[in-house]
Order: sequence, then structure tokens, then C-alpha cells
Amino acid sequence: MTGQPATCRGGWTGLQVSSNGAVANGVATELTSILDTIEVPLVVVRSDRTMAAFNQAAADALGLSLPDIGRTLRDISVLARVPRLEQSCAEVITGGVESRIDFRDGEAWFVVRISPYTRGGDQMAGTVLTFTDLTAFRAAIDQAIYERECTSAILNTVADPLAVVGADQRVQSGNRSFYTMFGVSPDPTEPTSVYELGNGAFDSAPVRTQLQAAVAALSLENLREVLADTHAFQPVEVDQVVTAKGERTLIVDSRPLSFPGHSERRALVRFQDITARKQAEAAKDLRSEEELRRSEAFLAEGQRLSSTGSFSWKVATDQITWSEQLYRIYEVEIGVPVTLDAIRARVHPEDLTLLENMFEQAREGVNDLEWQYRLLMPDRSITYLHAVAHATRDQDGQLEYIAAVQDVTGRRMSEEALATARSKLANVARVTSLGVLTASIAHEVNQPLSGIITNAGTCLRMLDANPPNLEGARETAKRTIRDGMRASDVVTRLRALFSRDEYRLESLDLSEVTREVIALSLGDVQRNRVVLQSELAEDLPTITGDRIQLQQVILNLLRNASDAMAEVHDRPRQLLIRTEREDGDRVRVSVRDAGPGFDPQSMTKLFDAFYTTKTDGMGIGLSISRSIIERHHGRLWAEGNDGPGATFSFSIPSGPAGVPDAVR
Amino acid sequence: MTGKRSLVSIVDDDESVRESLPDLLRLSGFAAEAFSSAEAFLASDVVSETGCLLLDIAMPGMSGPDLQEELARRRQKIPIVFITGLIDGSVRPRLLARGAVECLIKPFSEAALLDAVRAALRRPYSGQVTAP
Repeated sequence: MTGQPATCRGGWTGLQVSSNGAVANGVATELTSILDTIEVPLVVVRSDRTMAAFNQAAADALGLSLPDIGRTLRDISVLARVPRLEQSCAEVITGGVESRIDFRDGEAWFVVRISPYTRGGDQMAGTVLTFTDLTAFRAAIDQAIYERECTSAILNTVADPLAVVGADQRVQSGNRSFYTMFGVSPDPTEPTSVYELGNGAFDSAPVRTQLQAAVAALSLENLREVLADTHAFQPVEVDQVVTAKGERTLIVDSRPLSFPGHSERRALVRFQDITARKQAEAAKDLRSEEELRRSEAFLAEGQRLSSTGSFSWKVATDQITWSEQLYRIYEVEIGVPVTLDAIRARVHPEDLTLLENMFEQAREGVNDLEWQYRLLMPDRSITYLHAVAHATRDQDGQLEYIAAVQDVTGRRMSEEALATARSKLANVARVTSLGVLTASIAHEVNQPLSGIITNAGTCLRMLDANPPNLEGARETAKRTIRDGMRASDVVTRLRALFSRDEYRLESLDLSEVTREVIALSLGDVQRNRVVLQSELAEDLPTITGDRIQLQQVILNLLRNASDAMAEVHDRPRQLLIRTEREDGDRVRVSVRDAGPGFDPQSMTKLFDAFYTTKTDGMGIGLSISRSIIERHHGRLWAEGNDGPGATFSFSIPSGPAGVPDAVR
Repeated sequence: MTGKRSLVSIVDDDESVRESLPDLLRLSGFAAEAFSSAEAFLASDVVSETGCLLLDIAMPGMSGPDLQEELARRRQKIPIVFITGLIDGSVRPRLLARGAVECLIKPFSEAALLDAVRAALRRPYSGQVTAP
């Protein structure tokens, strides 16, 4: 509001002074001086709506000056800006009731208070106007409102429900989430107690303690006391909270809320909805449980499909646990406690010793065991099993074996059927080719034989002739000799044909070749209760040779060794088969038994004594073995052991130098 | 057509046989000639004179049984005595069933041979194949 430059004094000249002269004047002067000191702009308006007086503050603020006195309001420009001023003054005079006008002048806010005054009588003499500049006040209020709106907006965007709770633990205010969640409306007359929220879900000791602590903690002493009991400030998980969205699980967290200058105790309570998280965790648990169940089901199914059962055996306590499939394999009711005796009851009597051997080795703590054995069922049927076990430590550090046992009956049957068929086939092939060979031999030989006989007969006739036909006889005799030679040639040719076997040459690692033979004969060897150990070198140089023939040799040695120990009862029937590198780039295979051995004089007889081919399936004799090895440029020999038994060995040079001769 | 068929023809790829048999037969009073193959015999001019054919079975080229068939085709029903080194037991009955006079297995005795030749030469040459 701009006006004329401020005067030093207000303008009081419009006021009538009473007739009481100097005293009245003095009082008036003092009064006017007092009125001039107050900061509030003050204007006096007569009932005829002319301005009678104004104070200094009014002069400064409104720019009023002495010439304005006596003018009507509407003629004073600054006052004319106040809307409805003259009307309001008139209303106040007639009504006798104070009124006010709020008005805005540019950016500033004002309020004008209009109060009637009298000159001591009932008659209103006029109005006193006081002006108050509300601008700053208004701005402050606007600012406060703005900030509150901002805060409110912020709070309302916070997803977590928040509530301000008073000392009585009733809700004074909350954010939007709070009202939405709990379906409560902010009612100042009936504030809701926290313990009524969510269908009473928060009415529990932990929540009460927390809330009371938060509300109580205002002074420092209180705080210390409360902090001593730190549980008070732990968030509390509350489930089954009934909300507008159904049952939720929330975490309640309360903090003291204090404002400077306000002694009222309050707390800010935060509710955190962890329902989704809990569901996810439960689902994960469920999933893990389900996954566990599924993987167990897979395992069980896998065991069933492959006819493999598994077991664990705590050696110290002989506590044995079987998988379901193993119960089925043993044809024992699932769940029946397993004991070593129960197992022994099922094992084929011939394999009991083998089993005891395995137990012995296990008790000594051998790392890995593998063995084959049979079960004899009540119905006298036989089940072939192949077991593999590995030593581990259980959670108490005790020795425990984990083993897998596979029912290989089907495979064994087909292997045996296959082996039988193969050997039958081999026999048939032998017989067939022998038949053809025989026919061929016969044919070849019979021709000259026929010639010999015919010629001899003719010779006799010629000699019997009269006179004897000596020339003719001589001729026939010569022919006879020639035919005889022919026959002899045939035999020679055939012999040469015989010894020229067909070879299939390849690069061989004798350790691998031996391993195959061992695998093939494991069952048989173990059935003879022979403990087979192998020491097969990993880095053998390769030799060139016929795999089948060499395997025949190794098998022959294995069988002989096993047979040699058939009468051994007082010591373990140990059979050791070893492959190793020899000097000069040779490879040696040796088979050592613990049998009766032999005396050195009869060594040569050995190779002759076994000359007859033992054709029970795949067997060949030592003599043939030796010739096979010799054809590989190797040698086969035997020697007695230090200790019981003998060792048969053969060695073959490695590399292409070992190519076998076709004809010897 | 009653030419005297008194020739004994020998067809065998084996030299010993070709050398020894004719001598034996001649000594026994028969006319004999030897051929190293069935083809050679067929190509010769003594087919119609042959009253007995001593025939090997297994020969390179045309075999004994092949020659038997070929002669039948040509309506030369010459009596045949097979001689063979093969010992397959099923051969002899089959050949006899097809009209052979005899099937001898080497080595055979003189007596067996001469008997068979005589039997063959005695066969009535009407061209009919009769079972022995």
C-alpha cells in the first residue's frame, strides 16, 4: 500500500474537542500521543463516513495526511481500495456490532476491523478502523499448509501403513495405506485403539510392550530405562491380521514421536506387510520339500528300473539300512530291520565264504570293494548280484560303507546263454570247416591213391601176362611212385595250410586287455573262492597283436591258476595278476597263484602235459598258449614262487617289431 | 543204328586216373580212351561209339552230372559209371536215381571197376533210362 510520505504525527484534527478547554486539550494531546505510538494503523470514521482522524501508524502504512481529514472514504484513494468499506461502516453503526473485512491488495493480505464507538452516549458516533497486515502471517500459514500437504503426500505414497498413536495407544492419524489396510476412518471423536485393529491381532504381550515403550520414551531417563529392556524395541511379527485384503502377516515397529514444545507423548507405528515374503518362503520350503520328495522318488524309481538296491553299513555297530529296492531283491518284507544274519540266510551257501571275506576286508577299512555273489531264494531260484561299496565316514567320524547292489541275473543268464551259443557256434564252425577240410583232404589224397592202386593192379597183371610185360610193368611202377609223391605233397601242403592261422592285428594295451579278461572271469574265479588281485600298470607301451588270441592265453593262465588252488584250504586262495613294463621295451603279464606249485624238473612236461586242448567253452592249452606267444615274438615261462604256488608269465616286445609271423 | 558200342571213355581231370585206367581196361580186353574234360569228350568223335562212360564228378568247367544232363539232352543215353574222390554220402544215391549204372569212390578196387564197366556195356541201348 503506497501513499503519501509519512508524517511525524497522526491527524487528530477532525476530532471535536470538548468545551472544557485546556484540560481537555491536554488529555486529548496525551491520548493522541499514546495512539500515535501503537503500531497498528488506526483510522476514525464518522457516521457520515468522513475520516475524522488517523494515527501515525496509519499515516505511515496507508499514506494518509492531514488534508485527507474530513474527506469521505471513497475519496481517499487508499481507503477506497478496501471493498465495501463505507457499507460496512454503515452497517456497524446501525447494528452496533463489530465486523471485519479481509482483503487482498496485490500480494499482501490485510484484515480491517471495524468497531463502533460512542461519545459516551448510546448513539454511535462512528467507527474505528484498525488495519492488520496479514501477509507474512498468511504466507507462514500457506507455507505450513504446503509443507503439511507435502508431508502428507509423502506419507500417503509410503506403502507401509503408518499411524501416529497417542499415549492411550489410540490412533490419532495415519497415512492412506493405514486407512486402506485396516478399513478405519480417521475419526477424532472416536479414535481406534491399536489393539482393536485387524480383528484384535495386535492385542498381544509383545506388541503391548513395544507400543508402551515407544509411547513412554520421551524423557532421557525414560529412554534409558526402556533401552535397558531392549526387547521392547524389537519388531514383532504378527500373523492372521484381518485386513481389507484378507489375512496378512505384518511386522509391527513402534518409535517414539516427539515434537519440540509439545509434551504430549506419541509414537509412530509402522506396519510392514510380509505376507508375500512369508508365502514365498513357505512355497520355497514346500518346493524344496517337494523337490526332495521328487528326487527321492526318482532315486527309488531309478533303483527299481535298474534293479539296483543300495545299503549303508556302519561297521562298528553293524547297523545296516537298506533301500526299498534292496528289500525287493532279497525278497524280504520292506521295513524289516536288517541284520548280518538275515543277509547270510539269503546268500547262496557256496558264496558265504566270499561274503565273509568281504566283511573282513571291510572291517579292515578297505576303501573300495567290489564283488559278485548269489542269493538262494526259498523257491530255490538263484539271483546273481554285483555289489560295489565305498568307505566313508559318517557324521560321528565312524567308518560306514555305502554300497550299491545290482541284480544281474538277467544279464548273467544272457551272458551265459551267449557264451554257450558262442562256443556252440565256434564248435559248429570248427566242425563245419573241419568237415570241408576233411573232404578237401580226402579228395586231394584219394586221387593219387586211386592212381597208385590202379597202377599197382595193372603192374601185377602185366607181370602175370604171358610173356610178362616188363616194359609196361616198369611204367606202371614209375607211375605208382609218382602218385605216391603226389600224395605226400598233398599232405605237406595241407600241413602248411593248417599252421597259417588268420590274424587280426591291432595296437593293444595289455593292461586293458587283461582287465577285460578279469571282468569276464570275475564270477567264475570268485565262485572258486579265489581272491583275485590285480596290479595293472597304467603306462604300458602298446604291443601289436591279436587281441582274441592273447586273451585266450591270459584266460588259460587265470583258469590254470584258479584250478591249481582248488585243493587249498589252509590259506587264502590268492591270485595275483600283474602287468608291467620289462627292460628293452617289453611288456610282461604274470599270473601268480598260491597252489601247490611244481618242481622244476617237471616244467617242460607241463607244456606237454597240457597239450590236449581243454575245450570246455573257451579253453586252450598251455602248449597252444606258448605258440601264440611265440608267434608274437614273445616267450611264455613258469617259475615257482617264494612261498606257495607258481607264477606263469609271458612277455612280448612292444611296437611294430612285435608283428607276429604268419608262418613258423 | 546198331553200331557196336564197345568203347570205354574215361573223362577225368586227374592225370593219374587218365594214365592208369586205360592200361587196366585194355589189359582186361576193353577198348579205352581218356579225356581230360567233359568238353573234350563232347568235342571228340567217339561219343557215339562209347558204350560206357567212366566219369569223374568234380571237374573244372562242365562237371560230371552236367555232362550226364547234356548227353541226355542230345539223346545220347550212354551208360555212366561215376568215379569220384568226394565222400559226401548223399551223392551216390542221387546219381543212381538219375540213371547212373554205378558210382565208385576212389580209391576203388580193380574188381569193382571192371564189374561196373561190364554192367554198363551190357545195358540195352534202347535209349531208355532204367533204374538199376
